[in-house]
Order: sequence, then C-alpha cells, then structure tokens
Amino acid sequence: MRRLALAGAVWFLLIAQSGCTLNPPHFAPEETAGLPAQAELTQVPFFPQKEHQCGPAALATVLRSSGAAGLPNELANEVYLPGRKGSLQVELIAAARLRDRLTYEVSKDLPSVMHQVAAGSPVLVMQNLGITPIPIWHYAVVVGYDLDAGTLVLRSGTTERRVMGMRRFMSTWNRAQRWGFVVLEPGQLPADAQLDRYVAAAAALEAVGKLDAAGRAYARAHEQWPQSAWPQLGLANVSYRRGDRQAAEGGYLTTLELDPRNVVAHNNLAEILSDRGCVSQARAHADRAAALAKGTTLEAAVATTAQHVAGATTAGSGVSCPP
Amino acid sequence: MMGLLRTLLVQILAVALLSVGSPIVVQAEVIGTLAGIESAQRDADLARVNRALASEQAREQLQALGVDQAQMEVRLAGLTDSELSTLADKLEQAPAGGDVLAVIGVVFVVLLILEAVGVIDIFKKFP
Repeated sequence: MRRLALAGAVWFLLIAQSGCTLNPPHFAPEETAGLPAQAELTQVPFFPQKEHQCGPAALATVLRSSGAAGLPNELANEVYLPGRKGSLQVELIAAARLRDRLTYEVSKDLPSVMHQVAAGSPVLVMQNLGITPIPIWHYAVVVGYDLDAGTLVLRSGTTERRVMGMRRFMSTWNRAQRWGFVVLEPGQLPADAQLDRYVAAAAALEAVGKLDAAGRAYARAHEQWPQSAWPQLGLANVSYRRGDRQAAEGGYLTTLELDPRNVVAHNNLAEILSDRGCVSQARAHADRAAALAKGTTLEAAVATTAQHVAGATTAGSGVSCPP
Repeated sequence: MMGLLRTLLVQILAVALLSVGSPIVVQAEVIGTLAGIESAQRDADLARVNRALASEQAREQLQALGVDQAQMEVRLAGLTDSELSTLADKLEQAPAGGDVLAVIGVVFVVLLILEAVGVIDIFKKFP
C-alpha cells in the first residue's frame, strides 16, 4: 500500500512538472496586446539538419530569412565544434555578425517570442530536450504560433513544420535559460526594441570591425532614442574608425551634450584634440575622463590617453580649437 | 642571388603581414562603444579584457576540440573581447546544441518514461 502511494506520488510529481494539460497557457492581456491570434512565417526556408548539426541548420534558417547568405555546410566550418558534437551559442552570434547582421537577444518570455514572429522575424531558440542533469541541447527556429490552440510551429531538426504545445515548448526552453535571438538587417528594429540591448548589439558589430553595419544600426537607434548618448557615441566612433576625424569630433561633442558624464566621449575627444594641437582643451577632457573613470574598467585606457595628451605639443595659431 | 631575392621577399611579406594588425595599435587609445557600455554595466573590479591573451587561450581550446587551423581566425573574428574571454574561461561548461544523447541502458528507459509523460522531448524529433 505504501509502495502504491509512493508510486502515485511520483507520477503526480512528474505530471505536475510537465504541465500536462490540454488548456493552452494563459497570458496577461498586456502581454499579447497587438498580437494576431495566429501567425506563421511560411516563407522561412527549411534546412534539414545533419547529425549533430542543428546549430548550422538553424543559423542558416534565420540568416537566409534576414537576406544574408550562408548554407548549413558552409556555416558548419564556423560554428560546429567536433569535440563537443554541437555548436556554442556565442559562435552562432559571431557567425551572424560576420555576415553584417545584428543579433538581438529576445526577452525571456513567450509573448516576446510571438511578437518577434508577428513582426516577421523567426526566432532561433535553444532548447534542452533532456532534463537538467542529462541535458540534450538543441537549436530550433520558431516560425509560427496559434494562441487559441496553444501551439508553436518550429523548423526543428529534420522536421520542417514541427507543431509543439506551448507548455511543452516552455519546459524545454526553461531548461535552456529561455535563450533565443533574432537576426536583423542593421537599420531594422526588432519588435519590443530595448535601447541597451540594441545598442550593445550594434557596438558588438563595431567591435568586430563591421563598421557599415554598426553605423546603420546606430543611425536607426539614434532615430528611435534621440535623447540617448550611446547611439551618438557609436556614430562618432564609426566616423573615427573610418578616418573622418572632423565628423568624429562633432559627434563626441554632441554625445557630451546628451550625457556630460560620458567617459568614452571625453577620452576620445581628448585624443582627437591633442592630435590636432588643441592641447589645453584636450587636457580638460582627459582630466574629466580620468575623474569619471576612477574605479571602472576604463581607468587604464583613460590613463594612457592622459599620458598621450601630456606629451602633445600645442599647434600654431592656424588651428581653430573648440571653446 | 636567388637566395637573396627570396630572403628579401620573405622579409617584405613578413612586414606586410605584421602591418595587417597595425591599425589596431594606432587606434588603441580610442575607446570603443562596447567597452563604454560594458564599463557602465559591469562590476568595477573586473579588468578590461586583454584581447591578445584571450584569443590565444580560446584558440588553444578550440583547437583541442577539433577546429581546423584554417578556420580558426574566421571563428575568432566575430567575437568581442569579453566573449572571447568567456569562451576561453568557460568553454567546458557552455552548452553546445547538437542533440547529443550519450546515455544507455536504465537511463534510456527512464528517459522513455519521462518522454511518455511529457517531461522531456527527445524522441519526437526523429520522424
């Protein structure tokens, strides 16, 4: 009898954990506001995966639908890790960046995923198809949903149109920390665009030398969030890296109008000004940068600038310096 | 004479190769946007990543996991400094999506049961 009770308890726990129910999940009205009841991006291509290569296949799917090239077997050279028989999340992101695409991590809730789909962007998601102690990591692409039926449509593995209950999907997605991203043409904003996340994604493009893509993304971000200093700083940095110091200088000054405490703008302005002989102005910005950077990760870089400025020589009277 | 020419050519090529990396050196004092954003978000005690060092460590790890030397630079090129450093430090713990199921026997039976009751979702993907 005790045994039976124990077995019953185990089954109960299993069923409770699985969320075994026929009812579709309920969302707060504000979460699904503006969402059509169903959507499916039927034009998203399908690349059936080879063994262990869900990463290249899923990446090719989202890249292609953002208009970028890349077939699974080409992408495998960049994202498949033979020793792990799989692909790392960060390598998927890096490969998309190298194709001039902005990768935007989606918010960690299902309505956000559906909003991306409704806006036309398929979402590459990581799932853990196993259980936490015995994980089976998998990548798939959400291309559709049906709120009334409580289902999602995924390009997954060798199945072109995998229909999956939302609850079942959620348990696999929860075990993968609800990770997913969309691939965008730079200059395109995602649904549910968050300033910090978008600008960080643009800045990553700048960091890996994709200046055109970064510039377009910053310009779009500046349009969307005109009061934020970061898109303006990004535009100035892109100008600098392209060798247009005049535009960069103007951009750093505009950045400082928006955020007088921006360390990077003070520092980079100090560099430019000292290079063209405006040493006293450069020194003022370098001092300000040093004071603001104290105790941050930028302290050493700012100190290098201060040394550089200290060694600069003032230009003759022909140079016009900012006030 | 040919030997001298060859030596000269090798030296020219070596200098040319070195200069590929030189714009980074010239621009080292200007701080990138990402470093600014990360500095604003990150704990102050974390130092800025040394890219050269992180690249070297990441390269070693990827090579040990079977990445072709010819592909190495492309694979590292799309990563930011902090991603490189995380890759170098935490590659072993990082999940790699690839549907690997390396369990047998009793575990397999348990998995089948879990699948049947809907806790896990391994077998459905094989049509």
